[in-house]
Amino acid sequence: MSRESSGTLQYTSVGRKVFNIANALFLFLVSMAVLIPLLIVIVTSLSPDSVVAREGYVLIPQGITFENYTKIFKSGYMSAFRNSIIVTISSTLVSMVLTVVMGYAMAQKDLIGKKFLIRFVVATMVLDAGIIPFYLVVKNLGMIDSYLSLIIPTAISTYNLILMKNYMSSIPTSLIEAARIDGCSELGILFRIVIPVSIPIIAAVTLFYTVSHWNNYLHVVMFINDSSKYTLQVLLRQLIFQSESAISSASALNNFKMAVMVMTMIPVLILYPFIQRYFISGIMLGSIKE
Amino acid sequence: MSTNTTVVAEKGMVKQKSRSEFARKFHRQKPILILLIPGILWYIIFKYTPMLGALAAFTDYGTKAKISFIGFENFIQLFTSPGFWGAFRNTLIISFCNLLFYFPLPIILALLMNELIFVRLKRLVQFIVYIPHFFSWVVVGAIFAMLLSPSEGIVNQIIMSLGGDPIYFMADQNWFRSVLVGSYMWRDVGYGTIIYIATISTIDVQLYDAATVDGAGYWQKMLYVTLPSLKSTIATVLLLTVARVLLIFEQVLVMYVPSVYSVSEVLTTYSFTEGLLNGNIGYATAVSLFTAVVSAILVIGCNKISKKFLGEGII
Repeated sequence: MSRESSGTLQYTSVGRKVFNIANALFLFLVSMAVLIPLLIVIVTSLSPDSVVAREGYVLIPQGITFENYTKIFKSGYMSAFRNSIIVTISSTLVSMVLTVVMGYAMAQKDLIGKKFLIRFVVATMVLDAGIIPFYLVVKNLGMIDSYLSLIIPTAISTYNLILMKNYMSSIPTSLIEAARIDGCSELGILFRIVIPVSIPIIAAVTLFYTVSHWNNYLHVVMFINDSSKYTLQVLLRQLIFQSESAISSASALNNFKMAVMVMTMIPVLILYPFIQRYFISGIMLGSIKE
Repeated sequence: MSTNTTVVAEKGMVKQKSRSEFARKFHRQKPILILLIPGILWYIIFKYTPMLGALAAFTDYGTKAKISFIGFENFIQLFTSPGFWGAFRNTLIISFCNLLFYFPLPIILALLMNELIFVRLKRLVQFIVYIPHFFSWVVVGAIFAMLLSPSEGIVNQIIMSLGGDPIYFMADQNWFRSVLVGSYMWRDVGYGTIIYIATISTIDVQLYDAATVDGAGYWQKMLYVTLPSLKSTIATVLLLTVARVLLIFEQVLVMYVPSVYSVSEVLTTYSFTEGLLNGNIGYATAVSLFTAVVSAILVIGCNKISKKFLGEGII
């Protein structure tokens, strides 16, 4: 064993260098595979009609114009954009209130029926009734065609709830006991101690909810029939996939299409650096191991 | 005798005491329990009521004015319907390919990233690779429609410059499943990688130092220190992936067009069209119930396998 490894150690000095460079090159190509499509989308959305008519899609900028975006501001896509923002903000608010409150209650060390409650919640991550029974419940509540159908039925993500609960149960008990002795009410403890201490997780969970509500496509298609209430995701789907000819057509609309796409991606792109921070710091890890 | 009665009396006292303790605890926790009410109600309404609603699988809901219990008739219809078998077959093929690539690729990428010595590049790669995970399927689908467009897409331009004929990937029955698997990888492999990277960052450096002292080379450290430390994460990710693998839905719903329905209609989209567009709710629920049962069998099987090979199960 030792003979073998000392052998490899001597050998690595050259072999390792080759590996290091090949590895770096490979991983660079992997990240380009992610980045180049995004660049094509952004650059094409900023290209003038003449360039797009000649090139189709553009990776290297040849003239920049914001015309496509001004077109969007004047079109029906703008109201869909507004709808998306309204739905995203209101559903994230509802989600956060429910998640913080329930997470806090579940984080209590000696909560009555705690074991059962956790099973009750976690079981729903595995057991899934399917889309039709879920649709019937929402329909029977009279939420069809109302934004309530996009806000309430998807309000809690069990995954985010567990994240919240885990973080809040790691708050030192002494901190909470001291407040209790000082005569602070349970709600007072939540607002004055637990929430301020839990800002990192609250920020992280808010970001996750925002992105998932913004990206919601399925429920809009299911629950909203009134096309004036459609969100941007639905309109982008229509624009790109409406007909088979739409996918293939060599139209000069490419830059406009890509501009709509940028509008659909932009909140995610803006929030991404913040989301990224929480991932790297390992906040997600606890939940995954849960 | 007397000792016996005292024991009984003591037991009674203990009981009483614990009951009053419970009452006190209940009284003290009342505000907390009130805070729990909205959340619990939400779970009952939106998670547990639909499970009861799955009983619709045993009724003729949707086809007749009066709903009646019809036993296993929907399932009999299911197993004799070519539409169902086609969807089942497509689901198995697409899910199997997804699993085949999605399971090992992130592990390999994470190990390679861990070996990367150029710190700046490492940070850059870590920053970029999982951006797509946060895009909706509509955006991912639109990006693929753009890349694969027959005349202008970058992929077909490369094919044409090499002298080949352009391929209409998004509407070609021979290619569409590969497009689904490819776009799934593009969106989620980076994210899978980051999960392992996060685990690797928690490995105790002393383990590597000890391995170095023992004369282990780079590869040996990777194989005997890094990889074993990923065991429980691998088991968890495998289980979560398997639990969802048959439920592939939104991606297909967004990306498929009529000419590729026959190769990409999966169980979930089949149930969706039968139930919501054709109004055949009892039948559609039977399809979802079938999917749920097969998923449960897969999860239990996968847990057994991971117990056997990785030495730990999740459930």
